Amino acid sequence: MNEQESVELAVIARQAGVRITLVRRYVEFGLFEPASAPSQPPRFAPSSASRLAKAERLRRDLGLNYAGAVLACELLDRIRELEDRTR
Amino acid sequence: MAVEFKDYYEVLGVPRDASQDDIRRAYRKLARAYHPDLNQESDAEERFKELGEANEVLSDPEKRERYDRLGSQWRAQERSTAGDADFEDFFDRQGFGGGDVRFEFGDGDFSDFFGRLFGNGAGMRTSGPLRGLDREALLELSLEDALAGGRRRLTVEGGRGIDVNFPAGVRDGQLIRLAGQGAPGRDGGPPGDLYLRVRLKPHSTFRRQGDDLDVDVAVAPWEAALGATVPVPTLTGTARVKVPAGSSSGRRLRLRGRGLAKQGGGHGNLHAIVKITVPKHLSDEERELFEKLGEVSEFDPRKTRA
Repeated sequence: MNEQESVELAVIARQAGVRITLVRRYVEFGLFEPASAPSQPPRFAPSSASRLAKAERLRRDLGLNYAGAVLACELLDRIRELEDRTR
Repeated sequence: MAVEFKDYYEVLGVPRDASQDDIRRAYRKLARAYHPDLNQESDAEERFKELGEANEVLSDPEKRERYDRLGSQWRAQERSTAGDADFEDFFDRQGFGGGDVRFEFGDGDFSDFFGRLFGNGAGMRTSGPLRGLDREALLELSLEDALAGGRRRLTVEGGRGIDVNFPAGVRDGQLIRLAGQGAPGRDGGPPGDLYLRVRLKPHSTFRRQGDDLDVDVAVAPWEAALGATVPVPTLTGTARVKVPAGSSSGRRLRLRGRGLAKQGGGHGNLHAIVKITVPKHLSDEERELFEKLGEVSEFDPRKTRA
């Protein structure tokens, strides 16, 4: 992933329509990993905003907590991977 | 506009005398089953919205009571008017809502029925703006279109038509992202994106092998034996290909770069596959010549094959 393809926290927040504190919280819970060197301001994959929105929809709609929403997203990723592999 | 009565008990699959606990349990279970992020069925989102609306009303004792009152009156009226009652009239007569209430659901989250019963956006639980769902749609392209690029008109969310430009050289399975063309956001959040998954349609002439293409090229026996230059169809027109003398059926003649676009640039190859074709009916002269050839030739295809 190069610089142009990664985004910073504020961009994720804007694209997802949420406050930056919520993005930080999901980073803490490991929803997405920074894609940059540790010394630099963190940058993330461009798909982060839609990933965050998915986690947040699940959290709000199903009464999950943050850890549960992140877990659900990771399980969904694995399902998708398996489906792609068997296709 | 006719507003249809919604049976919220039926939506949640609970009896009319269900307890608040029963309702909560039923909602949670169904919400997990039909959440659009978890369920890829096309009607999941619609079902999920319905569930949310039903839960919004039935989980709130005040709203539930109002809804129950309306429901029994509605059913009574339906019986007396043989089922063709106009709900709009009914509402006005019963004093639900009123002429001064405007029903606009910009987000389209809750039904007109809900709006009629509780007013515009009444009591909708909000938890702040949030981006909408990403969508995925299939973009089926011919091999020619995939190679050349072009434009397609697609119908998206809400029946809008959008023009999609796809670049030259799209590959099977590739995702084309259309920013902001997904589902609308919640509470004023930005919309999701639309992803178009490219699928290359089978072609009547070319067989696709990854980025390479195979095409059969019919060759007369004497062309195959003596060599010839023959026309071969390509995705962009016709190429002239030299069939070397002594080519048997199945020989693959490579046309470099005449295949589909490769990931990371360049193009695959087109393979013209020699297919020796004989006349179905021979003229007398042709027959004589073939017979003569058979007599003088020492060629035994079964032997040399080994």
